Amino acid sequence: MNFIKRFFSGMKQKDSVSEPVEVVKPVSEEKTQSTTSSTASAESDAAEKRFADAPPAPRVVLHAPVLNENIFPAESEDILIKAQPSQTGDQCMFTVNRVLMKGASWYFDSFESAAESSLAESLFSLDDVETVLVCESTVTVTRKDKTLIDWKELAKEVGAAIRGSIEEGSCLIAEKIISSIPSEDVIREGIQKVIDEEVNPGVAGHGGQINLLGVKGNSVTIQMGGGCQGCSAADLTLKQGIHTSFRKAVPQVGAIFDETDHTAGLNPYFS
Amino acid sequence: MPRVLTFKVNIETGKQGPNETVNFCFNGHKMPFENVTGSNESDAIFEGSFDVNSFAHSLTLVGPEKGKWNVEKVTVDYECEGEKPYVVKWGAVTLDETTEMNLWQDPPAPMFDV
Repeated sequence: MNFIKRFFSGMKQKDSVSEPVEVVKPVSEEKTQSTTSSTASAESDAAEKRFADAPPAPRVVLHAPVLNENIFPAESEDILIKAQPSQTGDQCMFTVNRVLMKGASWYFDSFESAAESSLAESLFSLDDVETVLVCESTVTVTRKDKTLIDWKELAKEVGAAIRGSIEEGSCLIAEKIISSIPSEDVIREGIQKVIDEEVNPGVAGHGGQINLLGVKGNSVTIQMGGGCQGCSAADLTLKQGIHTSFRKAVPQVGAIFDETDHTAGLNPYFS
Repeated sequence: MPRVLTFKVNIETGKQGPNETVNFCFNGHKMPFENVTGSNESDAIFEGSFDVNSFAHSLTLVGPEKGKWNVEKVTVDYECEGEKPYVVKWGAVTLDETTEMNLWQDPPAPMFDV
């Protein structure tokens, strides 16, 4: 209450001395203006001087290898499988404690493509499995029903199918597939050609570019740069554009890894 | 993009270390570590932490102002809001006055046995 009384009495006092204040005002304003203008000019000089110096050169961000520790207990004889759904929920990666396809990978896009590969055949026998990618000791599955993101139920079925195929002891990946995998040089040449002639001209309109970082077996690693880096549609470009172009041009290409750091870069997404 | 509450680093230096203040860059802001023990001289171990309380876009270890820094191994313990604490380990890299090292990795996607 005292505070309110003081506030109102203060206002009244101000009203009662409004005229003298108005007379004095221009003088003080002038003073303030002159002081402000001199301060402003000094500040602008300082700013000019500061910006006259070259800005520090941006540092290059290096990516050291991440050291993965074994997720399975050592020397376990049981078939152990861990499921890891992706952040977007459209696919799930299953890691097995043994090698399924040594030094290579293969992408199965239909039941027909899985012929003679017992692992893929057993997975395609599940209703909701759309595609299967086998790479070393992992299996990545996409599902038909894109509205479901909870993988618990399907993951159990996939896990049982993988385990069943391994226990069966039959040929996990067809011999004809393994023998059809070309050399790294052939894969590199084909992928580089499709990047140069098809992919990069396409993404250049958005200020983007795709670089081929490496080929290991028939798995390729790419990096997105320019406007593609940090773009919210990068995942879509990768999965629906780049993957499709790569697989159409070089059908034997297996896993396609993206090593883009979408949070860094000097020119991410039309800066 | 989680809110990082705090992070702690353990840096093992190899044969060459600058023995100078160790800085990190969080979302482009360069700062020294707090609660520092050890150093980044040759064959030494440096430990430091920082209470960030901010959303992470980027986190890097800034290279030395002069000379080279052989980083043998970096272990980072993250505590993020609404996430279980997690640890990421990186292997060897050599930093200099033109480079920095990425120290950020999103919390791992949940994994379960099937």
